[in-house]
Amino acid sequence: MKAIIRNLTAGAALVGAMTAGITAASADTLKVAAISGYFSQGFGIAIVDGLKKAEKDFDVEVKIVDTGNRALDYEEQFNNIAKDGEYDLVFVMGWELVDALQKSNAAYPDQKFIFIDGILESETMTYIDFVEEEGSYLVGALTGQLTEKGVEGFNSGSQVGFIGGRDIPVIRNFLMGYEQGVDEQSEGVSVSSVFSGTFDDPAKGSELAMTLYGQGVDVIYQAAGPTGEGVLQAAKVADKYAVGVDIDQCPTAPGHILASMLKRADVAVYDVIKGEVDGSAPVKPGPVSYGVAAGGIEVKVCDEVKDKIPAEVMTKLEEVRAGIADGSISVTLNQ
Amino acid sequence: MSADTTPTPVRSSWRMPNWLESILGQLIALGIAIIGGAILIILVGEDPILVFTTLLRGAFGNSERIAGSLLQATPIIIAGVAACIALRGGLFNIGVEGQLYMGGFAAAFVGFQFALPTGLHMLVALAAAVVAGGLWILIPAFFRARFGTNEVVSTILSNYVAILLTSYFTIDVFKRPGGWSETDPVATTAYLPQLFEFSRLNFGLFIGLALAIGFHLFLTRTSRGYDMNTMGANMKFAEYGGIAVKRNILVILLCSGAVGGLAGGVETLGVHHRFMEGFAPGFGFDGVIAALLANGSPIGVIFTALFFGALRAGSLLMEVETNASREVITVFQAIIILCVSAQILLRRRRDSSQGERRWKF
Repeated sequence: MKAIIRNLTAGAALVGAMTAGITAASADTLKVAAISGYFSQGFGIAIVDGLKKAEKDFDVEVKIVDTGNRALDYEEQFNNIAKDGEYDLVFVMGWELVDALQKSNAAYPDQKFIFIDGILESETMTYIDFVEEEGSYLVGALTGQLTEKGVEGFNSGSQVGFIGGRDIPVIRNFLMGYEQGVDEQSEGVSVSSVFSGTFDDPAKGSELAMTLYGQGVDVIYQAAGPTGEGVLQAAKVADKYAVGVDIDQCPTAPGHILASMLKRADVAVYDVIKGEVDGSAPVKPGPVSYGVAAGGIEVKVCDEVKDKIPAEVMTKLEEVRAGIADGSISVTLNQ
Repeated sequence: MSADTTPTPVRSSWRMPNWLESILGQLIALGIAIIGGAILIILVGEDPILVFTTLLRGAFGNSERIAGSLLQATPIIIAGVAACIALRGGLFNIGVEGQLYMGGFAAAFVGFQFALPTGLHMLVALAAAVVAGGLWILIPAFFRARFGTNEVVSTILSNYVAILLTSYFTIDVFKRPGGWSETDPVATTAYLPQLFEFSRLNFGLFIGLALAIGFHLFLTRTSRGYDMNTMGANMKFAEYGGIAVKRNILVILLCSGAVGGLAGGVETLGVHHRFMEGFAPGFGFDGVIAALLANGSPIGVIFTALFFGALRAGSLLMEVETNASREVITVFQAIIILCVSAQILLRRRRDSSQGERRWKF
């Protein structure tokens, strides 16, 4: 038995060596790995899009590793990626991976890890940090204006809604930006907010949304992952409006999604790779902010509802966007 | 006169011994799975030989990887023994998953909440896991013993409650401030000792092996074990034969649940050193499957669990080094399960047609 295993492993090594010979491209090729359990969902898909675009435009080789959902596996998966120092950059997305990531970062200090969508304690990693409060401010400006002006479909009350997933700092950032946008860009409109406590329960999202709509709220901004899907569906059922998040969610319930607040993970990932490839911005430790100015955050008004929005509101929205981009409007987090 | 000498019709009297037949069956299943897996891999445009050799290398390539396989196998062995205990008593505990979550949480709770001396702390935390697992099956077990409620349904349902309840504890009650949904870390005094410097493999493996061997000895060497086997073979006959079936049902299910809880405790204290949401998804079900494939034999469970563990560990390297997704392994496992369960069914039908009416567990 031992001999069999030895032979098999020898065979494996041989095959491994052969394929290494075949796939090893020129030394200049940048090898990039991305690891997450969410590549089949909205934000993860955006990351993959960015990687694919970079692969097409530059001399880059991309490896995508799905972690699945078993915490027992994470550490081994990070070590498998980092052990040979084969990859120049490793993108990581997902908070559940943080523990394993930090261990791997300590064990392989030379490996460049780029954590997407958040900042951790370690000072040796790179962080892509989306300024979600800026986008949320824009959403607040849009919904606040529509409600203040009593545009058809937004005239049954003076409140706009917000449904968050779990009550965690990043979702608080969404809410604070949103509230600030509503306060500063409209008169007499207030935010009615609620946290569902979970990111994985569309039914609950739907239920909460129906309650808010029942209270005279016409539009709900949701930052709740799959729970938010339920909010979008409820908008259709109640014949009201909802605002999508992270990715373009307009097609989820066409005509009932007002806009989507996009966190352009594809732009961010592409930019980071571009900076590394052409040397204009080599990856270095610390946070990199992607806000409205950098194109990492934008609000896309859905095509289906564009003609219902008065031109003055659209103009105002563009003014606010420009204001955030040039710094004349600053969105603050009063934590 | 001549009637005495009439030759009986010639029938082959040799039958494969059961254990040989069982192993042969497993090998056939493995063969079919390899072929099925290879077809799948070719369909995604990857080289099956490369994938399978990478799989083997990932599972056994060096001492670190072998330790990784054993690490993966540990919870499956313990959860498998939990399922075996119920199976051999003629019962089903499909709630191992839930007991594992409860046990895992209970161990973590004792681990971060109390300060006790090294060693004792670990034992108390493991005991808490055992108690939590036992408590978690108490209601299904009581209803099964007292009213004959179908324990399959009630144990399955208890899984959801356990998973959501521990999520609630982790997210809302004991959440570590700032950070992902996880509890405070367990104090180092409660850690299960690690076996090697280079792997997270821990003492839990020996707990699993001891449980499996201990349960095997119990079944084969004690009169209570004989009672249990009788119940497993035919519950009605056991009752007729004077075995206190109702009481035994309760005890057997409680033991099964307690071991299920222990599986979670070992995972918490040996590997994660905290409890987090999505702590060990599917481990309990893996245990049930390992027990079914082993035909309810605790010694067999050791081997099926090692096999599953090796597959899992190997698949992690496979995912990184080849273009085949880790999910190939899920398909691979499913094919094996299909083949083996088909064989169990066929064998049972054949046995009953030969007058042997026994429940093969």
